[in-house]
Amino acid sequence: MISYLGNSFIYISLVLTILFYINLLKKVIPSTTSSLKLIYFINLIPFGLLIYAFSISDFTLLNVVENSYVDDPFFYKVTSAWGSHEGSILLWVFLINLFGVFFLYKNQTVEIHKNILFISTLFILYVIVSSNPFIYVEANENVLGLGLNPILQHFLFVIHPPTLFLGYIGLIVPFVISAHMLVSKNFSEKLFKEMLIWSKISWFFLTGGIVLGSYWAYSELGWGGWWFWDPVENISLIPWLLNTALIHSLQVSIKSNQLKLWSLNLGLYCFIASVFGTFLVRSNLIVSVHSFATDPLRGLFLIIIIAYLLAMTVRLNIKSISNFNEDSFDLISRESFLLLNNIFFICSALVVFVGTVYPLFSEMILKTSVSVGAPYYNFAFNLLLAPLILFMAFAPQISWGKHEKKDKQIPFIIIFSLLFCLVSYYFFNNFYFALSVFITFPLFLKSILVLKNNFNKNISFYSQWLAHLSIGFFIITAVYTEQFDYEENLLFEKESTNEIKLQNNKTAIIKNIKEEKFQNYQKISVDLLISDGQKGKELSPSKNIYQPSGQVTNEVSTTNNLFGQYYTTISTIESNKVGINLVYKPFINLLWLSAIMLIFSIFLSVIKKR
Amino acid sequence: MKRHLLIPLVGLVVLVVSVIFYFNQATNKNNSRDEISNLIFETRDFYNNELINENTLGEFYIVNFFASWCKPCLVEHPLLMEMKKKGITIIGINFRDDEDNFKEWIKEHGNPFEYILRDDGTIAYEMGLIGVPETFFIVNKMTQKKIQGPLFYEDIEKYL
Amino acid sequence: MKISKSIYKLIIPLLIIHISVISFAGVNELSDYYKTIRCLVCEGQSIQESDTEFAINLKEQIQKKYSSGISIEKINQELIKIYGEEISFNPPKNHILLWGAPLILLIIIFIFIRNKIRFFNKI
Repeated sequence: MISYLGNSFIYISLVLTILFYINLLKKVIPSTTSSLKLIYFINLIPFGLLIYAFSISDFTLLNVVENSYVDDPFFYKVTSAWGSHEGSILLWVFLINLFGVFFLYKNQTVEIHKNILFISTLFILYVIVSSNPFIYVEANENVLGLGLNPILQHFLFVIHPPTLFLGYIGLIVPFVISAHMLVSKNFSEKLFKEMLIWSKISWFFLTGGIVLGSYWAYSELGWGGWWFWDPVENISLIPWLLNTALIHSLQVSIKSNQLKLWSLNLGLYCFIASVFGTFLVRSNLIVSVHSFATDPLRGLFLIIIIAYLLAMTVRLNIKSISNFNEDSFDLISRESFLLLNNIFFICSALVVFVGTVYPLFSEMILKTSVSVGAPYYNFAFNLLLAPLILFMAFAPQISWGKHEKKDKQIPFIIIFSLLFCLVSYYFFNNFYFALSVFITFPLFLKSILVLKNNFNKNISFYSQWLAHLSIGFFIITAVYTEQFDYEENLLFEKESTNEIKLQNNKTAIIKNIKEEKFQNYQKISVDLLISDGQKGKELSPSKNIYQPSGQVTNEVSTTNNLFGQYYTTISTIESNKVGINLVYKPFINLLWLSAIMLIFSIFLSVIKKR
Repeated sequence: MKRHLLIPLVGLVVLVVSVIFYFNQATNKNNSRDEISNLIFETRDFYNNELINENTLGEFYIVNFFASWCKPCLVEHPLLMEMKKKGITIIGINFRDDEDNFKEWIKEHGNPFEYILRDDGTIAYEMGLIGVPETFFIVNKMTQKKIQGPLFYEDIEKYL
Repeated sequence: MKISKSIYKLIIPLLIIHISVISFAGVNELSDYYKTIRCLVCEGQSIQESDTEFAINLKEQIQKKYSSGISIEKINQELIKIYGEEISFNPPKNHILLWGAPLILLIIIFIFIRNKIRFFNKI
C-alpha cells in the first residue's frame, strides 16, 4: 500500500512539475504562488510516507526490510528512514522543497522558484532511476528486518544528518538567487541581502551539522578523537569553507557595491560543492567510515547533475560578464581584507578538495595508491589559517573605502602576543601551542580593547565579534587538547591486578563487570574508579552486542574534572583479563563550548535581520 | 585580469605537472616488496625443529598464513589439502596463535603443510601481511601472486 | 606605500619560516606516529585507534624496532617499502602536486585577483 502510494506521489509530482514548466512557456494560466505551493507540498509527501512506513515497520518495502529491525526502539525505527542511501536521497528532495516553501514566504518571484523546482525534479528523477525506496516486496511473517547499523544507533545520529543536509540544501537558495540575478541582470541590493540571510541560515545548519557529527564521532566511535580528516568529514568542510567566504564577500557586495560577480559565483559554487560532496560519498569512490552500498549508476547520475550545474555556471558567467565593472579598491581597506579572507577560505576549500581527490588521481595516473590524512591537512591548514586568524584581529576595525586613521595599537598587540607566545613556549615546551597562542592572542587582546571602547553598538557588531572570538577560542583549545592529551592502555588481570597507577599519580581501580540485556542488544560493562586517594570518579565503559547482526560496538564512558575529561573504552575483554583504553583530554569541553558559541553567534545575526 | 598572463601560466602549470609525472613514475615503479623475507629460512620448523632445506624446496612453492582463531582459514583448508596431494609444497605460517589451540586445530582438520613455522608477527610484518588467511605463490624466492582472504578453486586451478 | 612595502619584506621571510617549521616538525612520540599509519583492513582508521589483529601486530613490531633504537623515520621508510605508500596517512614529500597545493593555489588565486587591489596594479 505505502509502496503504491509513494510511487504514485513521486510520479504525480514529476507530472505536475512538467505541467508547470509547459505552463511557464505557453502561459495558459498565469503561474501563481499557489501552484508553486501545491507542487512543493506534494513533493514533501513521499518522505513523510517513508517515515510512516519505517515507524510502523511495514515490511512490504524492501528499504524497510534492509534498514530496520522489528525490535529496534521506536525512535531508531523512525531515524532508519534516512540511514540508507535511498532514504537520504529522498530526504534531499524533501528538504529542497521545504526550503522552497519557506523561501516562498519571503520571495514570490516565479523565475527563482522554477530553478528550485528544476533541481528538485532532477533529484526526483534520480530517485526514480536508481534509488527508489518504495520498492515492493512480498510481506512475510518471518521477516524481521536486517536492522540499522548499530554504530548509527545513537541520539546524535538522529539529528546530525538532517542538520547537515539542511546546511547543504540551504545553499540552494543562494544558488538560485545568484542564477536568477545573472540571468535577469538585476543586481539589486535587496537580492544580495536576501542571499546573505539565506547563506547565514545555511551556515548555521552546516556548522551545527559538522559539530554534531564531530561530537558523534567523539562519543560513539570510541577512538578518542573528534576530527579524523576522514573523506566524508572533509567533504562537509568544503561547502562550509566556501559558505564562510560567501558570507564575507557578500558584505563587500552590499556595503561597497563591489565584488558582485565574485559573490554570485561563490553562491553558485557553494551548492555545487555540496552536490559534489554527496556524489563522492554516494558513489563510493572514496573509502571512509561512512560507507554505503555502491552502484555505478548512482554516481553517474550525480555526475550528470554536477556537470549540468557547472555548465550552467560557465554559461551564466560568459553571458553576464560585460555587466560588471572591474573591482578596484585600496590595499588597506575593509574590502581588500575581506577579499584576503576570501582568498584564504577558497584556497582552504580547494586544498581539502585536492587532498580528498588526490588518492583517486594518484591511483589512476601515477599508478600508486596513497592515503592523505591528518599530517597533510594539518600542514595545509596551519599554513592557510594562521595568517587568516592573525588578520582576523585587526581587519574588522579597518574602515570601508579608504582607511585614514592609523591604528597605533597594532605593534603593541603584536609585541604582547609574541611575548605571550615565548612565555607559553617556555612553560609548555610545545611549538604548536606556542604558535596558536601567537595567532590567537591579538584577537583576544583586540576584542577586550574594542569592546571596552564601543559599548553601544548593534547586535550585528556583537555577533561578528562573538563569531571571531569563538573561532579564536576554538583554535587555541583544539591545539591544546590535541597537543596535551595522553593515552594509556590499562591491562587488568583478574585476581592479580585490579589497581593501576596512572601517569598523573591517580589510581584506576576496577570495581566489577556486569552483563545486562536490553531490547535489541546485550551490554557488558566494566565499572571503573579513578581516584586520588580520597575522592573518585566513576566510569563504566561497555561493549554492546547488537541483534540481529551480532555486531559489537564500543560504548564510551567519560567523566569530567575541572581541567579535562577522562575518556574510556574497553579494548579487550576476556575471561581472565580486561583491557581498558584511557585517554585524558584536557579542556575538551571548552572546545564544544566554543563551537556552540560560534553557532549561537550566527543565530544572533540571523534573528537580527528578521 | 590581463588575459595574456593566463596562457603562459597555464602552460607553465602543464609543464610542471608533466615533469612531476615523469619524476614520480621513475621513482615509484613498484609499491610493495616482491622478494620474500629471509626469516622464513631462519625460523625453525615447529614439529621437527629444523630449518627449511632450500635445496629440496624447489623453484615453486606456496606460503600460507593461517591461525586457529581464523574462521575463513577453514574455507580454504580443503583446497590446501588437495594441493598437498598434488605434490605442491606449502609452507604454513601460524600467525599469532596460542600453541595448544594451534595443535588442536591441526589435529582436528589435518595438516596440509610441508613445514610449519610459528610466528609472533615478525615474519608477517616482513612479508607485508594484511590479514589471515593470506597466500603467497612464490617462484624463485619472488612473490608471483598474492591472495588476501581465503583461496578459491579458480585461484589455484592452473597449479593443480 | 613605503610602509606597506616594508610590511611585505617582513611577511615573506616570516611565511618562509612558518612553512619550513611546520613542514619539518616531525613526530617524536610513538603514539603520534601510530596515528599516521593507516589500518589497511579497517576503513579509514589509523592503527592507533584500531583493535584489529593487523593493527595490534603492526604496533608490536614497530614498538620492538623502536625500542631497539631504530628511528621513526627509518621505521617509516621500511614500512612504506613493505606495504606501499598507502600505509601512511603522511604521503611522501615527492608528491609535489599534493604538498605544494596550498602554495600553488594561493599564488594562482592571488594572480587572479591581483588587479582588484590598486596597490598591486602598479607593481
